[in-house]
Amino acid sequence: MEWFFANASFVAGLALTHLSIVIVPLVLGSILAIVGARLVRARWVPGTTTVLSAVYAIPSLALFVALPALIGTPFIGPTNVMIALTVYAMASMYFSARDAFSQVPPSTKTTATALGMSPLQLFVHVELPMAIPGLISGLRVVSASTVSMAAIGAVVGVRNLGYLFLDGFQRRIPEEIGTGLVAVFVIAMAFDLGLWLLGRALTPWRTRGGQRV
Amino acid sequence: MFSIPDLAAWFADPVHWDGRYGLWFLLLEHIAITLAALLLAAVVALPLGLAIGHTGSGEFLVIGLGSISRAVPTMGLLFALVLLWGVQLRDFSLLVALAAIAIPPLLAGAYAGVTTIPWGIRDSAKAQGMTGFQRIRYVEFPLATSSMIGGMRIAFIQVVSTVVLAPLVGLGGLGFGIVQGLALRNYSQVVASSLVIIVITIVGSQLLGWLQQRTGDRLDPPHPLEKK
Repeated sequence: MEWFFANASFVAGLALTHLSIVIVPLVLGSILAIVGARLVRARWVPGTTTVLSAVYAIPSLALFVALPALIGTPFIGPTNVMIALTVYAMASMYFSARDAFSQVPPSTKTTATALGMSPLQLFVHVELPMAIPGLISGLRVVSASTVSMAAIGAVVGVRNLGYLFLDGFQRRIPEEIGTGLVAVFVIAMAFDLGLWLLGRALTPWRTRGGQRV
Repeated sequence: MFSIPDLAAWFADPVHWDGRYGLWFLLLEHIAITLAALLLAAVVALPLGLAIGHTGSGEFLVIGLGSISRAVPTMGLLFALVLLWGVQLRDFSLLVALAAIAIPPLLAGAYAGVTTIPWGIRDSAKAQGMTGFQRIRYVEFPLATSSMIGGMRIAFIQVVSTVVLAPLVGLGGLGFGIVQGLALRNYSQVVASSLVIIVITIVGSQLLGWLQQRTGDRLDPPHPLEKK
C-alpha cells in the first residue's frame, strides 16, 4: 500500500492511458461485431466462423508485433495494440451477438414484418432491444478480457498499467506488480458493473415492479 | 525494415532452425510447456468439475472463477509468482500462472458435460443400483468427455498463446524469438516466430475440435439408417 500512496499520481496516469487504449477497441469492435452478426448472410456463416475463430487463436503479443508487417503501421506505439484489441473484441463479440440474435423468437419477427416494419425498423425496434440481455453478457466477457489483455501492450512500448508489471519485475518491487494487478482488476470490474447497469437501464420491462417478464 | 522476401529468406536459412534457440528446439519447448500446464490444470479442474456436476453443489465456483480469471492479467500474475517464489522456481511459477488461465474453461467443460446429460440417463443409472462412484466412472465421465475436450480446446488456445510470455522471466518457447527480435529490431524473426505460434495454435485447436466431435457421437449417435 505504501508504494501505491507514494506513486498514486503515476499509477493514475497509467490507468488513464490504459482506459483510453481499451475504450476505443471495445466500442468499435462491439459495433462491428453486432452489425456483422446481423448482416452476414447464412451462406457465409460457416466461413466467417472459421476465420474469426482462427483470428481469436492468434497470440496477442504475436498479433501486436505482426500487424506492422501486415498493414504497415509503426512497430512501436499504441496503434497496433488498439487495432489488435479491436480485432479480438470483434472476433469474440461476434459469437455472442449471433447467439443473442438467434434467441429472438421467429414469431416476434414475423409479427413485426406483418405490421409493415422495414428490415431496418425490425432491427432497431425489435431485434436489438430483445437481444440486449445476450449482447450485454457478451460485452461483459469481452470488456474483462480486453482490459486485461491490453496490459501485454506494455511489452511493445505502450505505457499502460502493464508497465507496472515490467518495471516492478525488473526492479523487484512486488508492491508495484500487486498495484498493477489490483488496478487492472478494479477497471475490469468497473466495466462489468457499468455494463450490468446499462443492461438494466436498457431493458426496464425485465425488472419493472420487481417482476421479470 | 520488413518485407515478405526477408521473411522467406529468414525461414530458408538453416541457422534459424538449429541449436538451442533455433525454431525446432523452441517449438518443442513451447509445446512441452503448454502440455505440462494443461496437464496440471486438468488434474485439478476435471475431477473438481465432475464432482460439482455430480453433486450439483459448488456451481458458484464454476461461474465465479470464470469471470474473475478473465480480469486478471496473466503477465502480472506470472511476475508476481516469480518474485514471490524466487527465480529458481520460475518454471513452476510459469506452470501455475498458465494453469490459472486453463482451469476455468476446463472446470466449466467438465461441469457442463455432466449437467447436460439427459436426466433419464443419470436417473436410470441410479435406478440400476449403481453407486455414486460407479455412476461417475461408467456413465457421467464417458458422456462428459466431449464437453471436457471442448473445455480443453479453449484452454489450449489461451495457454498456447500465453506461453509467449515465458521469455520475459528468462524461460524459453517460441516467445523467445518475439521478445529477442523486438529488442534487436529483427522484425523478420518476430513475425516468423509469431507465424509458427499461429500455425500450432490453429492445428492444435482443429485437432481438439475434431476429437470433440468424434467423442460427441457417443451421446448423440448418428441414426443407424442415416447415411453418413
